[in-house]
Amino acid sequence: MRLFLHPPGPLSHVGRVLWCAAASVSAALLLLVWSPQARADDSEAVKAESPYFHVNSSEPGVDRLPLKATAVDVRISGVIADVTVVQHYRNEGQRPIEARYVFPGSTQSAVYAMNVRLGDRLLTARIKEKQAARIEYEAAKKEGRTSALLEQHRPNVFEMNVANILPGDDVRVELRYTELLTPTDARYGFVFPTVVGPRYASPTASAANGAMPGVPYLHEGEASASAFDIKVSVDAPVSIKELTSSSHDVRVDGAGTPHARVALAQGTRPANNRDFMLDYRLAGDRIETGLMLFRGGDENYFLSLVEPPKAVPTRDVSPREYIFVVDISGSMHGYPLETAKVLLQNLIGGLRPSDTFNVMLFSGSNRMLSPTSVPATRANIDQAMETIRAMGGSGSTEIVPALKRLAELPKPTDVSRSVIVVTDGYVSVEAEVFQHIRQHLSKQNVFAFGIGSSVNRHLIEGIARAGMGEAFIVTKPEQAAAQAERLRKMIESPVLTNVKVSFQGLDTYDVEPQQLPDVLGGRPVVVFGKWKGDTAQAKVIVDGQTPGGPYRIEMSTAGQEDAKSSSLRLLWARQRIAALSDQEALEGGSTQKEAITALGLKYGLLTQYTSFIAVDKIVRNANPEQTATVDQPSPMPEGVSNQAIGAEVPSTPEPAAWAALLLVAGILAATLMSRRAK
Amino acid sequence: MSTMCDLRIALPTSQAGRWMARFDRVPPVAWLGLHAAALWPHWRWAAARVVDGSDDPLGLAALAAFGVLVGREAGRLTARPDARWLLAAAVGTVLATAGTFALPPLLGAVFAALALACAARAFLPSGHASMPLMGLSVLALPVVSSLQFYAGFPLRVVTAQFSTWVLQVAGFAAERTGTAMQVDGRLVIVDAPCSGVQMVWMAYFTACAVAGWQGLGDRAFLRRLPAAGAFVLAGNVLRNSVLVGLEARHVAVSESLHQGIGLVVLAAVCWGVAHVMGGERHDQA
Repeated sequence: MRLFLHPPGPLSHVGRVLWCAAASVSAALLLLVWSPQARADDSEAVKAESPYFHVNSSEPGVDRLPLKATAVDVRISGVIADVTVVQHYRNEGQRPIEARYVFPGSTQSAVYAMNVRLGDRLLTARIKEKQAARIEYEAAKKEGRTSALLEQHRPNVFEMNVANILPGDDVRVELRYTELLTPTDARYGFVFPTVVGPRYASPTASAANGAMPGVPYLHEGEASASAFDIKVSVDAPVSIKELTSSSHDVRVDGAGTPHARVALAQGTRPANNRDFMLDYRLAGDRIETGLMLFRGGDENYFLSLVEPPKAVPTRDVSPREYIFVVDISGSMHGYPLETAKVLLQNLIGGLRPSDTFNVMLFSGSNRMLSPTSVPATRANIDQAMETIRAMGGSGSTEIVPALKRLAELPKPTDVSRSVIVVTDGYVSVEAEVFQHIRQHLSKQNVFAFGIGSSVNRHLIEGIARAGMGEAFIVTKPEQAAAQAERLRKMIESPVLTNVKVSFQGLDTYDVEPQQLPDVLGGRPVVVFGKWKGDTAQAKVIVDGQTPGGPYRIEMSTAGQEDAKSSSLRLLWARQRIAALSDQEALEGGSTQKEAITALGLKYGLLTQYTSFIAVDKIVRNANPEQTATVDQPSPMPEGVSNQAIGAEVPSTPEPAAWAALLLVAGILAATLMSRRAK
Repeated sequence: MSTMCDLRIALPTSQAGRWMARFDRVPPVAWLGLHAAALWPHWRWAAARVVDGSDDPLGLAALAAFGVLVGREAGRLTARPDARWLLAAAVGTVLATAGTFALPPLLGAVFAALALACAARAFLPSGHASMPLMGLSVLALPVVSSLQFYAGFPLRVVTAQFSTWVLQVAGFAAERTGTAMQVDGRLVIVDAPCSGVQMVWMAYFTACAVAGWQGLGDRAFLRRLPAAGAFVLAGNVLRNSVLVGLEARHVAVSESLHQGIGLVVLAAVCWGVAHVMGGERHDQA
């Protein structure tokens, strides 16, 4: 202190030497400490797996769009569809590439084969445990061998990886799956999804949902450079009628005959930015019911489809409470939300005055229109619709907190509650949603309406399954009235309850599903299983309860064996895997991993724990470390806006730094010169 | 007296004395250069941050201004530095060095910059202003990104709130949620590039440069400095309000108009700051 009060004289010679020494020691210490490794390391940070917009890189010589075409060949015979998908990759760049492509599949598909055509050679893929397949793929990639790996992220989302596609290479990856077509109200529907919708990845989501890769998307309205073609052949025992597609312009040959062919018509609209949907009826509104029996090498399989009785309107309908849970997130912005509004107009507008209702709107947060449910009076309905009509879609899709709040709502004991979820399903928390519904909402029928051209059907169907309700898909506003009417009929008059299937004279086991849900609409009762014994004298019996009294139907097994029905073993395995996956989602973690892996390996099926891998024996790429990894972008689903990923919100940034600095330099110069002049 | 001094320099009495005499002949600028070299890892870190694009290279302008202010006094640099300032420089150097063990690199670099400014001040003539030099030395570091990180959010909230009030007075239906504004039903966000941190840097740079050039005393400088903050706040609120108002009216604001509005407001702010700092010096102590 004294030092500062009484300024000392200049430094002595010794002081200067000490000063110099102190500076040198300081420099030496800094030298010792300085290390580039001292910088922050964010390598362990959690990587976001959110969708993002595709950026056309300026990296020279890299083909950023390696998927040139997808061709689909569908053969429907009876109630079983056999589908072959060929993905055609070609590297038109100058550098070898690894192509990654996330693509959708049908929720019910059993993917059972994959092979790779590389020029004239055919590489047949093998099914392997997922981690082992990934290791083999990475090793082949490093060695410079062309290889392909097919993984499942969700039952309806797959990822294809093709490594070492050399410049000029033509690689055709062919995968095959089979699925059961279950008719609804005597109408058959086949759906081929073409694009995975941009899924919201919640930062608070549990890891139990499983990884979901970040997918690049083209902007709204931007057409994919990848071609798409689909051909469908339908073979039925009777004439096929009303064969139409509500999604695409199609050319139909053989309509009105038992053998019909469908192909895409020439059109200007892109074909691969929405689900391909095909509907048809059979003559006399028949559905193919009955038994299919297959005698395999080691085990025998059966499939039973039982047509439910016609719905009978009941006179005494008890009052119900309806809670509508409506997604108003960014992906619903625009056309999907407008479609949802028309649907809600029909759903809420059709309630009886004795019913009560409430509406929950959710995106990043959620809110109820009213603290408690209100009677469905005209005034309350009008007020609710006015609020709903004013809503615009924006924000994230936090569906789990919305369902949690729903479960906490007090429920009158004498009123049965129906929950109607309206969403496009663009989330990656399916497992959490299913678990929550099973645990907390199982006593309330939960119905799910999927809105849009490329709905996440896995979520919609899963919600309905977990909530013992039904799934509906609405792609256009004009479908809203019919679907709302369908729901009303289902709720007012369930077709068949307490359904039980039994077998006489036949030893059956591993029957799926183990507990049959109530039949709410015109959907048949579907049972898979295995059998032993003689089918000549056996029969299947279905018991249930209709509003009009007990219901019973018997079917003989005699003469139902069909050697061509080998796909029954795959469909049974697929059904069992789905049941185990549901169980796993309920328990959390990977409790069924071993059982699912064993089934996948035994039946050669793609599952969340098994993958298809094909590796070339020849090393073709001498410099695999030079390979660029390319993520094939997906088009934005039709009707979905850029806000599904994140639209630009206007802001007010400051001017560019260089311009600001120039300006300040000018002001400084002018100020100082003017001062000097004074 | 001067004869005696000359004799002491001219006639060293020992070998050590002759070495001491050589130290005496080292020019002050070389001493400053040596001090700067001793702190080189901090400058290397600062340069790396500018080169890797993690910060704007605005600090180069402050460094140049620092150099000009010291350089214009080159002829008057004393061979007998002020010990108090040298002591402060030594403390700063020790803290900068010790800071490499425990402090974030930027804080260490701030101590290093202040140490260098103190060393420069030690060699400058008695009565020379010190605060503008210190200000410029700190502004020469890559501080904009860190300012944005730590001060950006509060600045954005304050800007959004004041802009909301301004727009409400102007007849808009304006509402603030966090740093977002809902104006006539249109969402506009006051994000990081809108926080005004760059304007803060420009205003304080102007203040330090003008005060340093004018030789404004430290007390006067500190007394006038809050005016720079007020100018910045008013300027950023005005700029933000005008641009948000245009967005809310769905006026297509081109990039050049956007830049133009920002530059006009910045010019007004910096002119105001320069005027305050370069005003009459009647308040100097």
